[in-house]
Amino acid sequence: MISMLKLSYRYDQTAARLEVDGLPDFSSGHGDSVIGILSAWRLQLVGAPELEGKRDHLEALMAVVFPYARHQISGVSRPEGWSHHPVSIRPVDGGHQLELTSSQPDVPPLEIKLDDADLADLLRCLDALCSDDRVAIPWPEIINHPLSRRELVERVPLVRRLAAPVFGGVALVVVGVMAMVVPLPSQENKAPTDSVEAPSTDPVSDPSQADPSR
Amino acid sequence: MTEATVTPLQEASFPAAVLGRRGMERLDLLLLTVESLDFNGGEAMLWATQQLGFESLFPNRVELWKRRCHNPLRRSTRRGRLGSAETEALIRLLCAMADRLYPMLHQLLSSREPADLSKQRWALVDQRLRDLIAERFNLRRGAVQRLLSTDHSESIQRQLVLTLALAAGPGGVDRLRASLLDPTP
Repeated sequence: MISMLKLSYRYDQTAARLEVDGLPDFSSGHGDSVIGILSAWRLQLVGAPELEGKRDHLEALMAVVFPYARHQISGVSRPEGWSHHPVSIRPVDGGHQLELTSSQPDVPPLEIKLDDADLADLLRCLDALCSDDRVAIPWPEIINHPLSRRELVERVPLVRRLAAPVFGGVALVVVGVMAMVVPLPSQENKAPTDSVEAPSTDPVSDPSQADPSR
Repeated sequence: MTEATVTPLQEASFPAAVLGRRGMERLDLLLLTVESLDFNGGEAMLWATQQLGFESLFPNRVELWKRRCHNPLRRSTRRGRLGSAETEALIRLLCAMADRLYPMLHQLLSSREPADLSKQRWALVDQRLRDLIAERFNLRRGAVQRLLSTDHSESIQRQLVLTLALAAGPGGVDRLRASLLDPTP
């Protein structure tokens, strides 16, 4: 009876295919063709082994891919879920690396390299699933906010960001050193003139007195 | 008339996005990228506005062009900010166009495509985008000169195409809107 009710929907892109299996949740008033309980999902990415799991794993995948794509669209490459998530994604030389950590203790994490086109395909599959009326599962809400100024500044390479202040600082130091090295104008030249002029300042007692030089 | 047609957009509880200068520049540049990818991009945009129900906001190509002229980098730029309903309509139009062009965007971004073929495709996009920029943008602006400079144009064009790919379809509207509202760094 249950096998008859099992529903399966597929979301295809060029390099990605996402399939979800589930059952209608009649207690929530869903129709026969609406998945209300997700039993399994499978994700095929070209050049990578098939991924599968339960709803939690799919939610973990969404929780890193959506924010990562949000940052990418603004030109910011920022790792998502690197330390504490079962799924994480980070930028690697011209592409992206998806890492899936197994809940089993001895299983090494699975690393999948994606290019920009693969990432877009994966994102479109997840978008299609989330907006599909035939899947009535309350996915975690992803709210897209404008990035902070700090995050946007970080997309500029550190060398370029530091170039202007470093150049300014160096210029200031050089000017300061030069100012210390260059000698101040000497005061000694003025002193003798003063001493020479001093004796010659004979008071003219009488302005009407005849000038002896004439 | 305009208010009556704007209402459905606002009723759908979309955030009112009034773009700043930088956001408007990016939005118009993305639309220009769409035109560089599609020879009939101008016609296709007009057709898409009708399909999306924005014919009252953009009844003809002149009205569409006038809204896009709020980009300060244009040769004939318009003062003031674009209204939120028109901004939202342009964002949705862009996402719909990106969805339509997605196979081409995928080809351009894929590393599995033959390198020579990919290089030729990028060269075509580069040439068309340069022509459109030279035709419509104010070439005396530093930002426009940067778009055309060989040092920066490649990375800028790749980011534009990636943005279109990640914003394609209805799922991308929210992402693109948030991105266009980013502050100026």
